[in-house]
Amino acid sequence: MIRRTLLAGCMGLALMTGIAGQALAQKTTLTVGLASADTGVLDPHMNSATPGKSFMQQIFNGLVRLKPGEISPEFIEPDLAESWTASPDGKVWTFNLRKGVQCHHNFGEFTAEDAVFSLKRAATRETSTFSSDYAAFESVEAPDKYTVKITLKNAIPSLLGVVMNYHGGQMICKAAVEQMGNEAFRRRPIGTGPFAFAEYVPQQYGKLVANDLYFRGKPNFREITYRLIPSDAARDLAFQAGELDMLYARQDQTAFSRLKATPGVKALAMNPAEMSVIHLNMTMPPLDNIKVRQAIAHALDRDGIQQFRGREVSRQAVSVVPSGYVGTLANAPLLPHNVQKARELLAEAGFPNGITLKTIHTTLPGMMTFMEAVQAQLRRAGITLEITPVEHATFHQQIRQNLSQVVHFQAARFPVADVYLSQFFHSRATVGSPTGVTNFSHCKVADAEIDAARSEPDKAKQIALWHEAQRKIVTEVCAIPVNEQLQLWAIKDSLDLGYEIKGALNLGPAVLETSKFTK
Amino acid sequence: MSLAATARPRSGFARVASATLRAFNTNKTSWVGLALFLIVLIIAILAPWIAPHDPIEQDIFSKLQGPSATHWLGTDYYGRDILSRLMYGARYSLIIGIAATAFAMVAGSVIGMLAGYYGGRFDTITMQVMDILLAFPSLILGLIIVAMLGPSLLNIIIAIALTSIPSFARIARAPTISVKEREFVEAGRSLGYSDARILFVHILPNITAEILVMFSLWTASSIRTEASLAFIGLGLKPPTPTWGGMIREGFENILESYWLAMMPGLAILIVVFALNLLGDGLRDAIDPKLKGEQ
Amino acid sequence: MTAFLVRRLGFACITLFAVLTIIFLIVRILPGDPAQVILGDQADAGAVAAMRTRLGLDRPLLVQYADFLSGAIRGDWGVSLVTGRPVIQEVLSVLPWTIELTLYALLIGAAIGIPLGIWAAVNRNLFTDYAIRIASLLGLSFPAFVSGILLLIGFAIQLRWFPVISGQRATWTQWLQSLVLPAVNLGLIMAAYITRVTRSAMLEVLSEDYVRTARAKGVPWQAVVWRHALRNALIPIITIVGLYLGVLIGNSVLTEIVFNRPGLGKLIVGALNQRDYTMLQGMMVIYTLLVVAINLATDVVYGVADPRVKLQ
Repeated sequence: MIRRTLLAGCMGLALMTGIAGQALAQKTTLTVGLASADTGVLDPHMNSATPGKSFMQQIFNGLVRLKPGEISPEFIEPDLAESWTASPDGKVWTFNLRKGVQCHHNFGEFTAEDAVFSLKRAATRETSTFSSDYAAFESVEAPDKYTVKITLKNAIPSLLGVVMNYHGGQMICKAAVEQMGNEAFRRRPIGTGPFAFAEYVPQQYGKLVANDLYFRGKPNFREITYRLIPSDAARDLAFQAGELDMLYARQDQTAFSRLKATPGVKALAMNPAEMSVIHLNMTMPPLDNIKVRQAIAHALDRDGIQQFRGREVSRQAVSVVPSGYVGTLANAPLLPHNVQKARELLAEAGFPNGITLKTIHTTLPGMMTFMEAVQAQLRRAGITLEITPVEHATFHQQIRQNLSQVVHFQAARFPVADVYLSQFFHSRATVGSPTGVTNFSHCKVADAEIDAARSEPDKAKQIALWHEAQRKIVTEVCAIPVNEQLQLWAIKDSLDLGYEIKGALNLGPAVLETSKFTK
Repeated sequence: MSLAATARPRSGFARVASATLRAFNTNKTSWVGLALFLIVLIIAILAPWIAPHDPIEQDIFSKLQGPSATHWLGTDYYGRDILSRLMYGARYSLIIGIAATAFAMVAGSVIGMLAGYYGGRFDTITMQVMDILLAFPSLILGLIIVAMLGPSLLNIIIAIALTSIPSFARIARAPTISVKEREFVEAGRSLGYSDARILFVHILPNITAEILVMFSLWTASSIRTEASLAFIGLGLKPPTPTWGGMIREGFENILESYWLAMMPGLAILIVVFALNLLGDGLRDAIDPKLKGEQ
Repeated sequence: MTAFLVRRLGFACITLFAVLTIIFLIVRILPGDPAQVILGDQADAGAVAAMRTRLGLDRPLLVQYADFLSGAIRGDWGVSLVTGRPVIQEVLSVLPWTIELTLYALLIGAAIGIPLGIWAAVNRNLFTDYAIRIASLLGLSFPAFVSGILLLIGFAIQLRWFPVISGQRATWTQWLQSLVLPAVNLGLIMAAYITRVTRSAMLEVLSEDYVRTARAKGVPWQAVVWRHALRNALIPIITIVGLYLGVLIGNSVLTEIVFNRPGLGKLIVGALNQRDYTMLQGMMVIYTLLVVAINLATDVVYGVADPRVKLQ
């Protein structure tokens, strides 16, 4: 106990002197800590992982963008396009581009031709992970130098969502790809954003430099270094020692509380939350029996899990679509926690002595802690969950090969119900099929509603269809949504990013041209 | 026949037994090593009866607590009792350490004896392969094997065993070469004994002592490798309590609760140190010339 | 001598070939799909298949093998599946870190280990000897990650003498700061090892006739130990320490993880996690080359340094 107090005292002292020392001179360089050994491929149309996205978002613009700090599509505002119009049936969209925008590293002016090239590249399977987002595109044209015209085969839930500064909507410069080729572009990505790519050193850092020709003005920061530090503890220690200004924090309540209580530190719990869902493979006995699935749902205690993960950093799931998305059913008929009921249902299903389920699970610590808590809860209802830990890469392959009865998947998606429903609960997305994505449960009860909602022009009807789809999926117990975990970051108090940070769709607070240190 | 019988030296076991006694008489540290190891062994065996709590029962309301009267060494991230997990963890560390080393000892000795006995090209190639396995960082070799096979108890044992086979092969080979030139082996051969008989009846007893001593030292090393694998994330299934896995969890919580990593770290240190003390003392007694060398 | 070298080289080549084949197979037996890793969790099965084609992973295994072998012979190990950079470039970018760490750890180990080993040998079976032997055993018993964590808490967090993330190395002091803790962590383990090797080598030499003769002739004890005995004990010390380098590299993986330092170990763990086939192959080939080279060098040095060793 005494040693503990001493240690805490020493660390507190160390921290104070550290921050005081840093604050003396106003810095124009920013150092960020990322939780990975690698950013992954540096191509905005391919990388969908946290470290790559938070690093690259400063390099690229979209035709439109989300207001910094917001994650809902209602906050869309102009970016490379100054204005846009849509035809009444929602099939033809015209964007008027800003003039004089310069590509990084002297690759010339960004014009409609670049936008067309970029969108076509994002829609091509060979060059883009997100090509299916553009399946409804009939044509993308440049009638003149500053006009982009998109024609759709049918209306889609959010056209602006696929041309904004997110995933395939990030605009790259045509000349750069043509001169360097795709492979070289991935080592030196070229965009139009406030910061330009400078260098990337494997296992160490990625560096961005100020783009002084940025159309919104000269950035305050001269340089941003994204340090790659996979160990939570090492990253945390480095932040405590003042070596980082902003970091992807350990995704945990205890660490969050400590960061919050640390003087000079702002701890951020941001949307979008990643929802942990327990998918039950309904083709594998005994999970083909709905009573067994209901028993599992009754055995899980969402409140207990939230208590375990922490009240400030996580929320209880409300439906099979995360809360706050456009079209989420806020009062889905999720089964309540009731161990007795779970045991009864198991007995009715012919398993009075309980059941044993197998799950293949990643060794990633954050996901594993959740699953161990779930395991302990199920144990109380007579359900033995055998966890086979495999590395993350093996996990992602094997859960797509129907090798796991139970799949724990944790993800955030573009905040419109359609994306989550199509990827996780439409039969087209069933794993093992050529069009498979992440439908691990083989759920197919809501196909009609999901499809109908996609091209429904009437907003109210569209939302009603999404609600109906969720009701059906929840009743069928294809999957059990459990908990939503917010993205936890911490920044120094003296760092003013220039906007109110409520969320970050690109999974890390964006650094803007206006971001600066106040002290 | 009589020639071979009389020329045969005392059996390896007898030599080890007498050497052990000598070691314990001259080298007090061996006693310390043995005592420490026996304590851990007894704790491991008795874990289900003496552990104060269920090692896998979670209690989220008392997570990450410091040492107290109910939890002598505090609780972990899930509110599980650290002392109980340490006690159960000893079982897995010892099972893996001993099984892997035993497997490596048997396989390695056979390979080494055959290489030494037959010599020639067979010897050169075998030992070249062993050299490469030996000098390949055992941790990286273990990592790749476990990633390939999957982290089950048996696979971890196989992976660790594979990394230490070459050492035993080397140890077994050298004395085989020197023993095979001795008169009693020549005599046996001239009497028409089969190679197998000569190897196992005449040569094996002469190298048992060295190999058994290496056993304790390599068990120490195996326990350390298992912990390292678990630290990197390739350990046994949760919620199985393993020391390396506990350190991994503890390292992530190091700023809030340093004892989480400290306690299992000390446990590993104690066992490995005990086995090293024991093995070191035994080796001195068997071959004073080798004293202090590893 | 030449014949010996040629034969050893021939064996080294055959070994390398066998190892290359095994490496190629192992890497492909590993579960996990690099295409999936590159594309992330939102890609559909079709996109993953397209990526496999782009990476050439859908070609027959034999074609891939031939490609790999011919590349390896020409010294072309391909590009990393994940980052698209040439494997050799990635390896060369971290190799100096590993070499530097290993070298300084060796220096620290020798600076502490050799004097301690001699001191223990000279005071054989006295209190000093026991204390040094127990201390060195304790050092050998420390898992590298445990000692690393302790150093980190003590010196980087509490005392703040060193930075936690050792990456800045623009100035001389930054470079030194980034190196000290990891090198000390590895160096202490190395020191424990060298102490023991030195002690036993010295004991052996000290019991030789010429040492006794020198003593009898009245050469001062100090001179006997430092000038005569140590010089002869150095050969076995160097040989055994050379063999130990593999272990040192293994320990450096853990050290690199704890101190977040770039290096070969971390590179290979990363490549393993991402199923970066080409990178894994390249890394394993480099390790094997290192091992074969060290063994060859040890043999040759041993043969040259000690004429009593027959070059068969």
